[in-house]
Amino acid sequence: MAGAPPGHTIPSYAASHAGSPSRHMSQYPSTTVTTTTTSSSALVSGTPAPTSTLSSTLRYPSTRKTIYDRNLNRSRNAELSRSSFAYLFMEMVSYAHRRVKGIQDFEKRLNEQGYPLGLKLLDLLLYRAGPGASSTSLTSSSSTSSSGGGAAHRPLRLLPLLTLLTTKLYPLLFSRPADSLEQSTTNPAEYMIIDNTPLTNQYISVPKEMNQLSVAAYIAGIIEGVCDGAGFECKASAHNTGTDVWPNRTVFLIRFEDHVLEREKELERQGVK
Amino acid sequence: MSYYFVIISPTDTPLFELTFGTSKAGGDGVARFRNGETARYMNQFIVHAALDVVEEVQWLSPNMWLKVIDNYAPTNSHISCFITGTNVRFMLLHQPSAITNASAGSRSSTISSTSVPQNPTSPQTEEAIRQFMTEVFELWVKTLMNPFYTIGKPIKSPVFRQRVVGAGRKWL
Amino acid sequence: MASGQKAARVGEEVWKTRVDKVNAELVTLTYGTVVAQLCTDYEYDYVQVNQQLDKMGYNIGMRLIEDFLAKSNIGRCGNFRDTAEMISKKVGFKIFLNITPTVTNWTADNKQFSLLFDENPLADFVELPDDGRAQDELWFSNIFCGILRGALEMVQMSIEARFVSDVLRGNDVTEMRVTLLRYTEDEMPPDDE
Repeated sequence: MAGAPPGHTIPSYAASHAGSPSRHMSQYPSTTVTTTTTSSSALVSGTPAPTSTLSSTLRYPSTRKTIYDRNLNRSRNAELSRSSFAYLFMEMVSYAHRRVKGIQDFEKRLNEQGYPLGLKLLDLLLYRAGPGASSTSLTSSSSTSSSGGGAAHRPLRLLPLLTLLTTKLYPLLFSRPADSLEQSTTNPAEYMIIDNTPLTNQYISVPKEMNQLSVAAYIAGIIEGVCDGAGFECKASAHNTGTDVWPNRTVFLIRFEDHVLEREKELERQGVK
Repeated sequence: MSYYFVIISPTDTPLFELTFGTSKAGGDGVARFRNGETARYMNQFIVHAALDVVEEVQWLSPNMWLKVIDNYAPTNSHISCFITGTNVRFMLLHQPSAITNASAGSRSSTISSTSVPQNPTSPQTEEAIRQFMTEVFELWVKTLMNPFYTIGKPIKSPVFRQRVVGAGRKWL
Repeated sequence: MASGQKAARVGEEVWKTRVDKVNAELVTLTYGTVVAQLCTDYEYDYVQVNQQLDKMGYNIGMRLIEDFLAKSNIGRCGNFRDTAEMISKKVGFKIFLNITPTVTNWTADNKQFSLLFDENPLADFVELPDDGRAQDELWFSNIFCGILRGALEMVQMSIEARFVSDVLRGNDVTEMRVTLLRYTEDEMPPDDE
C-alpha cells in the first residue's frame, strides 16, 4: 500500500526530459515518468501496447471480463431480498458500534461510510440521466443531435440539486422517491428531506439508552456526499421524528454553507437556472 | 494531431494522464508536439491555466461537455473540457501537426482541411472529441463504482488506461 | 435430482411471492463499503478482513435461517445432500440474493461439495486492489462462507466453508468448497462474538 505506486507510469513525450522539475504543478508525479527500458517506445506513444500492463500485477479470468466490460445499466433494475440488505446493514451497524464511543461518534461513523458513496453515485446518476447512457459503448452512431450534451446536466442551483436527491438518488437506492422536501421556515440555509419509512431503520431496534441514535445517518452521509460532490457544501444529519402512523419517520436535515447561498443569489441574479 | 489528455480532481490533482497522436486517416497514434522536448511540461502548464477558464464557465452552463474552452496560440494548442458532476475535469489538449511527417505526409493532400487529424476546431473534430469524452466518462463511472477506488486517488487500473487508449484510437 | 428440482421450484415461488425486494445496487454498494472499511480498519491485513467477513456472515446466517424456514415452509432436510440442494443452492441463495449457484464435485462419502457461482451480485463492480497481495489473500465474498456456516449450524450441521477460487482473483470460476464436519445434535450454538 505504502510508497509510490510503480504502476502509475505516466507516458511522456521525451524520456530524456524525465527529470524536469515542475514548480508550478508539483502535484504532477514528475519522478514517475517511465524509465522502463523494455517497452519504452510503446509507452511513449501510449498506443501500440494494447496489453500494456505497465507494472500491474492484476490477473483476469481467461474470458478477460473486467468491470469495464460490464454494462453500467445491467443491475439498474435488479433486485435482491430486502432482508439481505437488512442483515448486512445490521452487521455494518454493530461492527461500527464496537468501534465508537457515544451516539455522536456512532452517527459520524455511519455518515462517513455513506459519504463516499454519495460522491460516487452522483456521477452514476448523471450517467444514467444522460441521453446516450445506454448506447455510448454499443453504437458508434455519430448522432449530432445533442451537440451540447453527451451527458445529463449538472445541478447548478439548489432546487435542481434537491430534486435530484428526492427523485433520482432516492429511487436509485430505494426504488421510490422521498416522501417530501421542505425548506426550513426559520433558516434559509436549511432544507429537509422526509422519509416516512427509511429502509435502514426498519429492521434495527436501537437499545433504549441510544434512542437518540438514527442509523439513517448512513443515508444522510450519502446525501451529504452527493451535495458536496456537486459543489453544494453542506452538513446532512438524520433525525428521528416518529409519529403514531410512521414510527420510523426520519427527517434529513441539510444545512448548506454560506458560500453556497451566496452563489445561489448570484446565479439567480444572472438568470442561471 | 497530437493529444494530451488528463483527468484532474476537484483539488487540481492529476488522476490520469495520457499522451497520444491521431489514429485517423492513417495516423500512427504517436504524439508529435511541436514544442518538442518541453512538451510534457508545457502541456501540463497550458492545461492548468485552462482550469481557470473552466471555473469561470462551470457555474453558468449545466452542460458536462464544455467544448473548446481555451487555447494557447504559441503552440497552436486547443483545450477541450468535460466536467463531471463531482467537479472532476477531463481536459484534452489538441495540437495539429506543425509539419507533415513521413508517415502521414503522402496522404495529407487527400485529407479534407476540416478532418479530425488536421483541424482542431472544425465541427467534426468537436464531435469526435465529445464522443471520446463521453466514452471516457462511462469508463470513469465504472472506476468510481469499484469499492476499492478511493475518491481523489490516481487511477491505476491498466484496463482503464487500455480503454482510454482505445477510445482515443476510435474517435481521434 | 428430484430434490434439486423441487428446491428450484420452491425457491422461485418464494422469491416471486413472499420476498420483500430491495434495489440490488444498494446491497452491492453497501457490501463494497463494508469490505473497503474493513480493509482500512485492518490496514489491508487481508487475512483479518477475511475473518471479519466470515464472522459477519456467521451472525447473518444464524438469523437468516429462521427467516428462511419460515418463508419456505419446508421442514429440515434429511441428509447433507438434500441440505446442499435446499439451503446452499436453490432456496437459500435464491431467496436472499436471487442467484442459484451450482452444486457439484461431491466426494464419494457425500461430505464435501462445491458451490459454483456464475454470478455474484456482491462483486458486480469490483476490481481488487492492485497491490500484489489482494488477489492472493482477500476473499472478497467471504461473508458467504460465514452465512452458510451460521445457517447450517442452526440446523445442527457443523460445516467448514471456504472459497478455493474467485473470478476477482483471475480464476475462471468462483468456487466455494463446503465440508460437513459433524452433526451437532441438540447442542446449543456457541455464542457469537
